Amino acid sequence: MVVPALDTEALACAVQAKYTEVATAPERGFHFHTGRPLAQMLAYPEAWIAAVPRAAVERFAGVGNPFALGPLPAGAVVLDVGSGAGFDAQHAARQVGLRGRVIGVDMTPAMLAVARAAAADAGLTWLEFREGRAEQLPLTDASTDVVISNGVINLCPDKAAVYRELLRVLKPGGRLQIADVMVQLPVPDEARAEIDLWTG
Amino acid sequence: MVREAGFVDVELGEFIDVFSGSPHESDAREFETRGVTFRARKPG
Repeated sequence: MVVPALDTEALACAVQAKYTEVATAPERGFHFHTGRPLAQMLAYPEAWIAAVPRAAVERFAGVGNPFALGPLPAGAVVLDVGSGAGFDAQHAARQVGLRGRVIGVDMTPAMLAVARAAAADAGLTWLEFREGRAEQLPLTDASTDVVISNGVINLCPDKAAVYRELLRVLKPGGRLQIADVMVQLPVPDEARAEIDLWTG
Repeated sequence: MVREAGFVDVELGEFIDVFSGSPHESDAREFETRGVTFRARKPG
């Protein structure tokens, strides 16, 4: 039996369409948890959730809490890969403070629009968002102290390319703090080619 | 894969049953899919 190869561009389009839905109609309900209940399930402190504008909270769609791995240093330059509506990027901005800088990168324009508005609403002038993909980040070499990401790399078909790219943008000694999905049993090739299984 | 890219000091954090109670739960259970946190460092 010939197993169809994964159409990576169709996958990118499907992911973008799914997260455009999350950005434009977060109340709709998805195959994965979202919003405040998800943030509470992942043990984000209530005070952190309360500090983030509602638009960014409602569109949160992570799979873990990358801050549970340790606080971000004050003054650090932080990259959030697949920043969505900016829920984690806002926490990062508060942790690094005014002398730091946080750059969120996302490929979905509707999410970027929400994230920019929420950052402006929160007065986080040292937080910015750029359009881009994890495999080709719009950042220069060795420009970042910490890379965070939450539930994004699993959606990228070429994960090795993503990690090479993260290595490129990190400064020597810089670190990753990632939350992602891990599949612990082998996935058949037929299932890998099913885009619906990737996007949930 | 993280180490192959050149990272060191890779440490796994907690595993979370993040799809529990979601419509995606049965697919997630079929392949034992969990949320996980990890950190790693670029040498230097």
